[in-house]
Amino acid sequence: MARRPDAGAGYAGRPAAVTSHFLRQALLLAALAFVPAIGQAIYFRERVSWQSPIPPSEMVTVRQARAWGADVIWVDARPEEDFTHDHVPGAILLNEDRWNELLPPFLATWSPEKKVVVYCSTQSCNLALEVARRLRNEAQLKDVYVLQGGWEEWLKQKK
Amino acid sequence: MKNPKLSLFIVSGLLALGLISPASAALKWEQTTLDLYPAVGDKDAVGHFKYQNTGDKPVRFKSVRTSCGCTVAQTQKDVVPPGEKGEITATFHIGDRTGAQMKTVIVETDDSAPSVTLTLKATIPQLLEIKPTFVFWQANESPTAKTVNVTASKDFPVPQIKVTSSNPDFQTKVEKVGKGEFKIDIQPKTMTKPSSTALTIQPENSSKVFNVSASVMAAPVVPAVVNPAATWHVVPTPAPVTPAVPQP
Amino acid sequence: MVELIVGGLFIYAGATKVLDPLQFAIDIDNYKSIPWSIAVRLAFYLPWLEMLCGLALITRRLYLGGLSILSLLISIFIVLSIVAKARGLDISCGCFGHASKYLSFAGHLALNFAILAALLTLFWRARSPQKESS
Repeated sequence: MARRPDAGAGYAGRPAAVTSHFLRQALLLAALAFVPAIGQAIYFRERVSWQSPIPPSEMVTVRQARAWGADVIWVDARPEEDFTHDHVPGAILLNEDRWNELLPPFLATWSPEKKVVVYCSTQSCNLALEVARRLRNEAQLKDVYVLQGGWEEWLKQKK
Repeated sequence: MKNPKLSLFIVSGLLALGLISPASAALKWEQTTLDLYPAVGDKDAVGHFKYQNTGDKPVRFKSVRTSCGCTVAQTQKDVVPPGEKGEITATFHIGDRTGAQMKTVIVETDDSAPSVTLTLKATIPQLLEIKPTFVFWQANESPTAKTVNVTASKDFPVPQIKVTSSNPDFQTKVEKVGKGEFKIDIQPKTMTKPSSTALTIQPENSSKVFNVSASVMAAPVVPAVVNPAATWHVVPTPAPVTPAVPQP
Repeated sequence: MVELIVGGLFIYAGATKVLDPLQFAIDIDNYKSIPWSIAVRLAFYLPWLEMLCGLALITRRLYLGGLSILSLLISIFIVLSIVAKARGLDISCGCFGHASKYLSFAGHLALNFAILAALLTLFWRARSPQKESS
């Protein structure tokens, strides 16, 4: 690679050559950047999902949850007004406002073969994560999932 | 250098604007994070976020949003004249929440730093910590006793707890295993049919009541075909318990 | 002098992203403009490109190439920010880590335009050094 004069001192007014220079330089930089990038990608290859953003293992997509069919107990973690307004058919309200009161009736519907899918609205939403966490920690239920995309995603895929 | 000084001036001016503007916000907050310690039995935890308009122009509150429906925030006035003080009151309805809770209030103003996040951190004291809150027996399981552990909060010593079962088909035995530590053994008297009970647990020196559920499950239906897409989560299947036949 | 500041800025910005490529991938994905599989690969590549170009500015090697790439990146980013805002997406920039969350959207935009202006000024200066100007 020929040494070019210091760019700060300026080229001797040859715009055409300068144009090809900067393109070449840009391509060279772009190519050089690949080296550490690929190195880092190899280092991270096991830790990154390359195809689709795999949700953490407690999350479940609407499609997967619906594929489980009758095995699912839907849990609505939202405030009561939202639930009353509309909810997944058959869903049970269980939120932290009235946890102590709402937990026993929910547990009455539960059995070990069931999969619990908790949802809330995407705006609010630590609610579903919190409810799921309490179901796992306190009631020690297995198979508790959080619906990815929440109520909005379910609405979108309702048809 | 022969470069136009004007463009450099504009550039640094814009840069300065972008970097400096948030620091010169007129509305100054005494604290943007508050730690609250509600007492046992409190229904709400209230935080007072005090501010003062240190600028020379009035500041208007455009919106006040909270991170969840359980927290409501109120400004006392919509416009703060220069020099005036005020506060935004954030009320967190505790409900049945426990432990460390964090709620935020996002305040939008027409100030130079338009968006401010106020944080409420509340530590909700738990009079009794109960784990697990639910026990169950599968239909083919043997009816051995299952244990629920109860731990009283360090700030509120509980000498004894009272446990009642709504269903006489379940037997309960309470044992004190340490200072503020108790064990409740629950056992179904019969496994012939599905049944459940609701236990109420009450510290003898408080009127607050806690719940534990216990159930005997119905015999499972023949399991459906395992969905191959679900195999990434391993479901522990209960080992069938064959009744022990003593060999003479 | 300006190229030292701007170059340093991009080295810093690139470094914060090199340290957490997964977070950067999530930030790119938040703009919902490209599929995840592309976003995650870009998340590994772009920060290094940024740092290299920042270095090019400071060392004056491959100087014009660095300027042009950075100008292109910032322009694309400005366009994407405006589009995201228009679509109502709530993006926390991710370009300078969490230091930038105190800037409003307009503040961010102003900063990016300023950087773009600085880059273009440097580019113009380097290409036509004999142009007489006041």
